[in-house]
This record gives sequence, structure tokens and C-alpha cells, in this order.
Amino acid sequence: MTTKKAVSMNDSTAAHDVPDWGALLARVAETDDKAAFRAIYQHFAPRIKAYAINQGFSQHAEVLVQEVMTSVWRNAGKYSESLASVSTWIFTITRNQRIDILRKLNRSRAEIVIETEDLWQIPTEDTTICSIQNLSTEKFVKEAIDKLPEEQMIALRKVYYEGKTHEEVAEELSIPLGTVKGRLRLSLQKLRVMFEAKEI
Amino acid sequence: MSAYHPDDMTLINYAAGSSSIPESLAVAMHLCFCHDCRQHVKNLNHLGGALLETMKPASTDDDAFESLMASLERQSHNSPAKVKMEPTPGNKVMQHFTNPLLRYLPASLADLPWQNQTKEISKFDLTSLVNVKGFQVALQKISAGAKVPRHTHKGFEYTVILSGGFSDELGVYHEGDFIARDARHKHSPTALQNEDCICLTVLNAPLKFTGWHRVLNPFMAWS
Repeated sequence: MTTKKAVSMNDSTAAHDVPDWGALLARVAETDDKAAFRAIYQHFAPRIKAYAINQGFSQHAEVLVQEVMTSVWRNAGKYSESLASVSTWIFTITRNQRIDILRKLNRSRAEIVIETEDLWQIPTEDTTICSIQNLSTEKFVKEAIDKLPEEQMIALRKVYYEGKTHEEVAEELSIPLGTVKGRLRLSLQKLRVMFEAKEI
Repeated sequence: MSAYHPDDMTLINYAAGSSSIPESLAVAMHLCFCHDCRQHVKNLNHLGGALLETMKPASTDDDAFESLMASLERQSHNSPAKVKMEPTPGNKVMQHFTNPLLRYLPASLADLPWQNQTKEISKFDLTSLVNVKGFQVALQKISAGAKVPRHTHKGFEYTVILSGGFSDELGVYHEGDFIARDARHKHSPTALQNEDCICLTVLNAPLKFTGWHRVLNPFMAWS
């Protein structure tokens, strides 16, 4: 493990305010706790909606929100801190539901096709001491993306979160395609180096 | 442990959910074999989670939560109950990543109804299972030591080796390896001597055989 750098003011204040999403999910799973579910909804639904809008769902953005939150309600019991942090877990559900909705729109009839869930699984751990690792990874990733230069982060966010092709990013930012590819490559290399340094 | 992996861009497109279904199948298949790439995808999922957290929230409809709760209550009467709390995964943790084709193959790899393409090459077509226009997807079986005619690609070809191995002009590949080829490459894969090679191939355009084998083009797609 690398030595801890000084934490920025933002991080230290945020750490106190963040509710224990895992505990809230457990209450949803065990006792159908609506207040706990409402707290989760109030935090994540507006972010899922922003994601949907960025992905071009426009007037159907609310459909994605409802699908994801329905899945969170039903599958809260499947969540385990050993699999991922709650925001990562909800991100993977959101990603999969988005793909699923798009696939259903494009499907003409009831065919047997490979399920989205089979293609995008949440990888499970190879070790048993993972829940602590996951929580620290989440914090680590937040710090890592803060270290990326703004221009790389913008390109990464557009590809990762807005589903844009490299060509579309180049056009939007009015920069050559080669520059977009270069920024993405650099950001990915940096992230990989940071991830790998952490695993040692 | 495989030696050939999808590149960073392929993995991030997969984690972001922006790769096509056939490409994602190839990546998912590789993940079954490769601890390193599973770890990297996990990190990229964390990146997705972190980006979700830093997103500027959009305003939601005031009554959206109440109408969601109402619909959940309606559904709870006629649909499967909520998933109950599962005990801490013990053995389940060992699964890592399930073969994405597991539920769809009628038999084990050895017993699949393979269609012969030539005496030494056979295939089990998966194009309709994946069902994305412009893509051909199949499992391929090459007899030990047999050679696939030299060909090039109009688009790209992803190959993931499920058992055995093969070699071509650029390297030697074994179980779990993920090999990407495009129009720049001409190659003639040869299965390793000791056992049949079975691989998943994803092709986004028909291939072109070169040399006299081009007569095969209309009849045999390497997928």
C-alpha cells in the first residue's frame, strides 16, 4: 500500500456526511423499510436521471430511473459489501438496465437472445478480505480521478458517461480526433498505474 | 493465466456499457479466464460508481417516488417476492465470473452438434443468439494441428480461446487468450498439435480469404 497523502478539505468533510448506504440497503432488504429506500432514492435517482439524459434518453429518462430503483428495491438482499460499494453496485445496475431498455426497443419479437446479465456480470472477488478493500477502493478511485488533468477527465467522462464516440467528442470539443485518443489513452494509462500501485 | 488481453479502450467501453453485444460477449468470455482483467473491470466499475456520485443531479418529478412505491406495491401482489437477504457469500465468491454462454449451449463443448466446414474445421453458430446486424458470432473447432486457410478481415475479428490453442504469424495463443485482429492483419491460424482448439470468434464483417482459397469466400465464413 502506498503511503497516505494528505486528504483534501473536500474529502474530509464529505466523509462525515455520507450516509451508510450499505446499512440502508440492508434495512430495505430485511424489513421493506420505506424511509431507508426513500433516502437512497433521493440521493441516487437524480444522478441516475442525469446519466440517462446524458445517454440520450431525454423524455424517457424517468423510465430508466424507475427501472433501476425497482431493481434496487427487489434486489437489495443481493447486495453485499464484498461485491462493490453501493454507488458502484447502483452504477452497474443502471448500466445494465440502460442496455436492456435499448435492446428491448430494438427487438422485433420474442426471440431467445443472450441476456444482458450474462454479459455484464459484477465480477466477484478472488479473495475473502474484500469488503474493506472495496470501500477503500472507492475512496481511492475518487482521489485518483481528482488527480487527472481536467482535459483528460472531460474526455473520459464523455466516453464513459455520455456514451459518445471518439469522433463525437472531437467534434464537441473542437479538437482533432488524434488529440481525443491521446487524452483517453493517457488517462487510462494513469488510472491503470494508480490502480496497480494500490494492489501491491 | 492468459497472456493476451483486451486493450484498455476495449475494457473501458465494456465497463461503460458502450461496446456492442458481440464484442461484450468476447470480453465477458475472456473475463472468465483472466483474474487481471476482472480486477481491472472491477476498478473501472468503481470509476463508474465514482462518476455517478460526482454527477450533477437532475431534477426528478415531485411525485416520482410515491408513484414508484405505488407500482412496487401493485407488483408485489402478482410477481415474485423480493430477494431475501442472502447469507454472506461463501462458496459463491469462488465463482468469479460465469461463462456467459452456459445457459444457451445445448450440450458441453465436446458434445455440441458441430457443423463441419471442412474435414478439420467445424463451427457452432451463435449469430442468432447474439442477433446484432453485421456481426457473425460462432464457436469454432479446429482439429489438432490443422491449419485455417490464410485470410484477412474487412472489419475486425475477436477470438477467445476456450480450450487448446493455436499459433499464427504473430504469436502462440492458449486457453483464455483474447486476440484482436483487423484489416491490417493477414493470418493463417494453426491449431497446436496436442489437442483440438475451440474458440469463440466475433466478426463484424465477412472475412476475405486470400490466395487460391478465395474460392471459399462465398461458401465458408470463418464464423
